[in-house]
Amino acid sequence: MQPLSNLLFGMLRMSTPLLLAGMAGVLSQQVNLLNIALEGLMLAGAFFAVVIGAYFGSAWVGLLAAMLFALLFALIFGFFIIDLKANLIVAGLALNILAIGITSYLLVIWFNARGVYSPGNFEKLPTLTLPLIEKIPFLGDVLSGQGVLVYVSWLAVLFTSLLLYRTPLGVHMRAVGEHKESAETAGIAVKRVQYTAILIGGIMCGIAGAQLAIGDLTLFSDNMTNGRGFIALAAVFFGGARPGLTALGCLLFGLFEALQIRLQISTGLPPQLVQMLPYIMVVLLLIFISVRDKYRGKAA
Amino acid sequence: MNSGILSKYGTQFLQVALTLTVALVMGALVMELSGKDSVEAYRVLLVSALGSRTAIANTLLAATPLIFSGLGAAIAFRAGVFNVGVEGSIYMGAFASAWVGFTFLGLPGLPLILLSVLAAVIVGGLWCYFPGVLKARLNVDEIVTTIMLNYVAILFTSYLVNYPFRLPGLSNAMSAEVAPQAWLARLVPPSQFNASFLVAVICAFFMAFLFNRMRLGFELRTVGDNPIFARWSGMPVARVIEKVMFISGLLGGLAGASQVLGVNYRFIANFSPGYGFTGITIALLARNSPIGTLIGALLFGILRSGSSTMEIFTDVPRDLITVLEATVIFFAALEFSLTWLRRKQHATT
Amino acid sequence: MAYLEMKGITKTFPGVVANDDISFTVERGSIHALVGENGAGKTTLMRVLYGMYKPEAGEIFLNGHLADISRPHDSIELGIGMVHQEFQLVPSLTVAENIVLGYEPHKWIWLDSETTQAQVAEISERFGLHVDPDLPIREIPVGVQQRVEILKLLYRQAELLILDEPTAVLTPQEVGGFFQVLKRLCTQGHTIILITHKLKEVMSVCNYATVLRRGVNVGSVEVAESSEAEIASMMVGREVEHIYQKDEISSVVPKLACEDVSALDDRRLPALRSISFTVNAGEILGIAGVVGNGQSELVEVLSGQRQAEGKITIDGKYLSDHGTRFIREAGVALIPESRKTQGLNLQGKVSENLVSNTYYQPPFSKCGILSMDKIFKYGRKLIKRFDIRTESPNAVAATLSGGNAQKIIIARELADRPEVLVAAHPTRGLDISATQFVHEEMLGLRAQNVAVLLISADLDELLALADRILVQFEGRIVGEVDPKTVTYEQLGLLMAGHVNDA
Repeated sequence: MQPLSNLLFGMLRMSTPLLLAGMAGVLSQQVNLLNIALEGLMLAGAFFAVVIGAYFGSAWVGLLAAMLFALLFALIFGFFIIDLKANLIVAGLALNILAIGITSYLLVIWFNARGVYSPGNFEKLPTLTLPLIEKIPFLGDVLSGQGVLVYVSWLAVLFTSLLLYRTPLGVHMRAVGEHKESAETAGIAVKRVQYTAILIGGIMCGIAGAQLAIGDLTLFSDNMTNGRGFIALAAVFFGGARPGLTALGCLLFGLFEALQIRLQISTGLPPQLVQMLPYIMVVLLLIFISVRDKYRGKAA
Repeated sequence: MNSGILSKYGTQFLQVALTLTVALVMGALVMELSGKDSVEAYRVLLVSALGSRTAIANTLLAATPLIFSGLGAAIAFRAGVFNVGVEGSIYMGAFASAWVGFTFLGLPGLPLILLSVLAAVIVGGLWCYFPGVLKARLNVDEIVTTIMLNYVAILFTSYLVNYPFRLPGLSNAMSAEVAPQAWLARLVPPSQFNASFLVAVICAFFMAFLFNRMRLGFELRTVGDNPIFARWSGMPVARVIEKVMFISGLLGGLAGASQVLGVNYRFIANFSPGYGFTGITIALLARNSPIGTLIGALLFGILRSGSSTMEIFTDVPRDLITVLEATVIFFAALEFSLTWLRRKQHATT
Repeated sequence: MAYLEMKGITKTFPGVVANDDISFTVERGSIHALVGENGAGKTTLMRVLYGMYKPEAGEIFLNGHLADISRPHDSIELGIGMVHQEFQLVPSLTVAENIVLGYEPHKWIWLDSETTQAQVAEISERFGLHVDPDLPIREIPVGVQQRVEILKLLYRQAELLILDEPTAVLTPQEVGGFFQVLKRLCTQGHTIILITHKLKEVMSVCNYATVLRRGVNVGSVEVAESSEAEIASMMVGREVEHIYQKDEISSVVPKLACEDVSALDDRRLPALRSISFTVNAGEILGIAGVVGNGQSELVEVLSGQRQAEGKITIDGKYLSDHGTRFIREAGVALIPESRKTQGLNLQGKVSENLVSNTYYQPPFSKCGILSMDKIFKYGRKLIKRFDIRTESPNAVAATLSGGNAQKIIIARELADRPEVLVAAHPTRGLDISATQFVHEEMLGLRAQNVAVLLISADLDELLALADRILVQFEGRIVGEVDPKTVTYEQLGLLMAGHVNDA
């Protein structure tokens, strides 16, 4: 049973940045702002987590920095797409490229490091042992002993769910995303609602980046997000921008990631083929939705 | 009438110049803030890109894939299709081209090259044709599908050279070498500058011809400007979109083939430093004009080829170029919305 | 003292005076109809009241006090609510959530669903507007959605309710129940303004009616003391006619035939209900009716832009289920309703717009390559023939005035004598000389034996040009009249849905 609990433990760990970025994506999608920039926001978070963490010698400060800088980038992104009404895709693309460029650039300028930077002067974020749960035979191995941000990511899913479905702000977000005109007529401050969604999402992406960079080791490498932002986006489409289903998608993709290394060793199944699955699934899902809508229209 | 055309190109040129200037200023700002001499950096950049025959050849070589991908993006955007998937076509086309190149070793040079390019063009074309059909017939959002398919292409080709077509004994993931008779000749040694640049330039001029003088060009421009009107006029909008997407992917395939046959002489996993995305930037900057794209690609070629030397001599990391690119895109994003706003104003009443 | 008084309201948009010094009053507790044809200014006037538009002149008094209304928020505060023709509901939210949208009861940061349910149930009961509060909007029929819109107003404590064409989304059966609700609201002290063009409604449920025509208040009547005929003639007016010279039609040769054509609109409501008619060669068949009774959909069906059931033929050849290009190649020319979106590419050149339907055939196109020279020359030819005011065929279409832009469309469609012309509001927004030009072109086609279908909201135009006029109401043809003998009153009655029994 060890390998299975090992696998599930790995799945939870690998899903963490996906869950966080996924929830950020959910919020953006709910206010109808397709957020291609999740990738860039995470990368910015990862970078500043390491850099500022090293400067102050503390992972917690690093985490805070990740959240702040990701928030800053999200603010820039939000300004362009909400106030200046810039094209969503282009602005998102720009932000991703900006993040890659600036992080690589500063890495060289500040640390004379190209590609990888591992300061080694501070400890990664702590892991938590859950008092009672760790005693449970199988589940204990899976759930307890994860990095602190793993648990934070679960809270993020809960938070997003509660926000969207149990608070007035959440109702406003869903109204704005679905039918902006009606929201406006009802007196809702549309721009403010959209900004809130983007900024909260930004913070979550920052935390995601921190998990990547200072959650297991303390290390930043160029482009270390490696497409996770887009996998999170794929999960958002998979889950129809609903927190629960999206989280399921994220866990699934996290499972793939954990599985792929083990599969490779045991069965030699190529990791790339497994990694392809999330993207193919999204395309198939979109086709399915379009076909269904087409026939639904005909039937009426 | 003449003043009309001049002023139209004049304003276009000014807009491009303005965007570039802002980007350069931003870049200078970033450099100065990190304690580097921006003037010196730009000087070295220009010199290393254009300072000698070999340098210019290298610059044109760097520009070649950008011309192809820029044109690929431009034709799709002009037809109103936001195709982000040229990168995927580059990968798939590159592999197809390499496969022909290392499989049909017996064929003589020219036929092998042509066959290889043909494979790239067909595979690359189909890779974008597929999401094109989805959009045209089922109204599936092309942005998401093409982004997803990019990743599928990158991963799939990576799989191919790590497993079935892996070159044994090497740690780098790459395919077998393309047969030497298919290697594109170096026209300006020691630079790898080759004939693919000329093909790219021809493509640019052909696309200008297509846009302005061909039936399909008229149709795609109309669909891009006003798809409702295109429908009311009886144009076969769905077929136009499909054709455009195929051509878009075809150009990506050419970019891939040019790298395989002219630079790497094999397929290397993850070989593209984002040619497809830079192509999008260039197309946006050039407002989808084919000749403008050609010029933009040359400019970015200068940036790319000069940046590594710039880094060596001035300590300014070449990633600055990426920052410049991002700035250009941000401002292109703005222009997008400005023209959209202007269009809305015309549309009132 | 009147509850509401609007005094001297003038509201203009570029090129048109939508409301011209309009004054009228509304008594508390009454149902007051605001009647008029399309373009009369009814919706504009109410949007001024609601705060969506700011008038150039005029004042609004509520209970004798001057009201300062600059945005919807202000009018809501003053107890004014409006239900627009296009509902402002969020499809995936429930009925209750939509009703309280923006004013949700809450405990600290959490939604208070108990209070929401209670409040919704209470007003629902009080006004007899029964809804299932937990169903999402997209699952309830349009008629019920309207109830939700009204409940929204009542939740925000509106005393004056403005309803814009409310029965457009109701079945005949639902209309009765709807009127009961309105009457009940009045007994409870609310005042209702009903924007409508349907005389039956005015007569059966309204206390007063104010008639607008071309932006002007023609007069107010007490419904009990008036009649359908009187209101109809106020709506439609008596104008000076333009007389055109027309030859008599010699023989009747059917060209375009529609048989039992039915279609749904974008809201999936029936827009065309089993329409049948024939357009003969050499005649102008006019279709009259207030906009919104299926005319747009009819044009879309005839041009292949909208799916429909039924048979459409030209000279016996089937057009139904074929695309636009096929229909055009069969000889149908189209002047669409919306010049800027359907009729032109404003970004394109004049010459390109002139060949947008023929570019793919010789002489303009050979082997996929366009002959720019021929296109340019063709453009020059048409510019001259149709007197299109523009500097060159290469000018961008957006630089032309409205009238000249319409001429591009006319030129394109009419230059090569078609078999059939379908023209939708061809002179909308044009000045007198441009209008006359279009009329003369259409008469010219008529003389060349072309079958012309003219759909227009301009009765003068129809009476002057058409040989026969059909009236369309709620997706049906409710009558055919002879323009030479019909009276304005009769037309007005038909257009407002009053069908002769005999």
